[in-house]
Amino acid sequence: MVSDTEYRAVVEFLYHEARLADEARYAEWLALWTDDGVYWVPATTDPDATPDTHLSHVYDNRARLDTRITLLQTGTRYSQEPASLMRRLVSNVEVAAAGSELIVESNFILAELSVQAKHEMHWWAGRTTHRLRRVNGELRMAGKKVVLVNAAEPLPNLSFLI
Amino acid sequence: MSSAESPAIDYKALVQDDRIHASLYTDPRIFADEMDRIFHAGWVFVGHDSEIPRAGDYVTRTLGREPVIMVRGKDGGIAVLVNRCMHRGTMLCPADRGSVRTFACPYHGWTYDLSGELLGVPYPGGYGSFDKRAHGLARAARVASYRGFVFASLSPAGPTLAEHLGAATRLIDRSCDLAPDREVALTAGWVKHRCAANWKMLPENDSDGYHLGFVHSALFKSIRTQYQRVVGDERSIKAVIRDWGRGHIEIDWSPGYQAPFEWLGNAAGAVVADYVAALERRDGPETTHRRIMEGPAHALIFPNLFLGETNIAIVEPVSVGECVHWHTPMFLRGAPQFNGRLLRMAEAGMGPASFLMPEDLIVASRNQAGLHARTAEWLLLGRGLNREYMDDQGRIVSHVTDETTNRALWQHYRAVMTAA
Repeated sequence: MVSDTEYRAVVEFLYHEARLADEARYAEWLALWTDDGVYWVPATTDPDATPDTHLSHVYDNRARLDTRITLLQTGTRYSQEPASLMRRLVSNVEVAAAGSELIVESNFILAELSVQAKHEMHWWAGRTTHRLRRVNGELRMAGKKVVLVNAAEPLPNLSFLI
Repeated sequence: MSSAESPAIDYKALVQDDRIHASLYTDPRIFADEMDRIFHAGWVFVGHDSEIPRAGDYVTRTLGREPVIMVRGKDGGIAVLVNRCMHRGTMLCPADRGSVRTFACPYHGWTYDLSGELLGVPYPGGYGSFDKRAHGLARAARVASYRGFVFASLSPAGPTLAEHLGAATRLIDRSCDLAPDREVALTAGWVKHRCAANWKMLPENDSDGYHLGFVHSALFKSIRTQYQRVVGDERSIKAVIRDWGRGHIEIDWSPGYQAPFEWLGNAAGAVVADYVAALERRDGPETTHRRIMEGPAHALIFPNLFLGETNIAIVEPVSVGECVHWHTPMFLRGAPQFNGRLLRMAEAGMGPASFLMPEDLIVASRNQAGLHARTAEWLLLGRGLNREYMDDQGRIVSHVTDETTNRALWQHYRAVMTAA
């Protein structure tokens, strides 16, 4: 359990992070991460699968996360050029303290209009685990794991920020 | 003339030596023909030995649109069974993979053993005399493997797997021989990437060296990769493409490599020391040096297996305008120290969130959209006809940016689609 004040700060952080991702505000989104951040999107819904033995959609350390953002900022990352139009709902937020960090679980649904070729609507849903830490008083992401409901199914491009 | 008498498709007119017709990507009748002639009658890659190590282990796949189960039998052999109960057609295994003692149908309780023989039919009194032996699961008529890569054909007749692969076995050897134990393992799971384009665009693009500097310019602007040397001045590019016959085609980057392990993210130091020593004990220093310089194959084994350097990929046709690209990292048996690196390389290169394939697949879907035009009907395929040549092994070779590989794909396609 965390205090109501802390819970509210976490929820506001999640909404802010979601809006930056939705609006392809790449530099601001990247600034939410700690230097040792890990961004993980497994390719399976098996809770026991580890990235050491199982292929993932995304398993970025901070250096690769920087590369991911650099690509999106080139203007020729054609799978996100122009950027998908997106809005996501974040809900069912549960917060637990773990030492100096907060473990935050939430559900999301994301509507993505993929405008790079056929203008198709793609619906994404899943459960996110954020590992948050205060850096100079501000909440920052040390980890974000996104388990898609359809992680193991054929997926269309996922080169936006999920 | 009624629509039922629509004229036969003239593949010789649609597939010419230096151009192909747009309908090959958009006509559902052509897609249906391809499923019959290429994916059902021909040899198709199904899966790898390492995916089903124990008796009862299975994975589900498709041969074209035919749902199948690749299963390890009690005798250690592999069967490719049609994933459909013989009673009323129920799919037996809906999961991607699993392990079973028998296959049981949920509808009326029919059960089959691992070789597909019908074991039990509840309430047999309703059938009078009923020969269970005549009602085993349908199966791929032929199953054969090469170095752990399992292929199947639904047709009892036709070329053997060895005839189908021909000299292209050397491409599979090139990858497998990098493993100290001479075997690769595909045990990391598959990522499946949905593509809104005709399936043939994937093998075409996988063997096209012309697009890299354009489709993937974002990556080249952002970081250095092993492909950097194929996006410079045309005359300075050393990589080549080769036609191995029967639709098997290759891009060989290695003439452009300048140091060992450029194909493995320039791995160096302690992580490669034991590996190099193991290969040297097996093959001697000279062959080892060649292997670590050249790296694995980048080649398409017709029609659906892509040896994607340190990845293995499968092309799955879904409909005339949709396909799925599967991939998994190629682990090298005897060198587990590379597994973590190979996983991260697979995530960087392939799949929906990677740094390469999303661009390939978005361009493919834009191709598919453009090909619905009929004011312009043809796709040009003549690049490199002025400079390709035959090497001393009878393979056609050309500059990596030429269309020799795509022409080879289409010439084999035309032969298969027009065979008597």
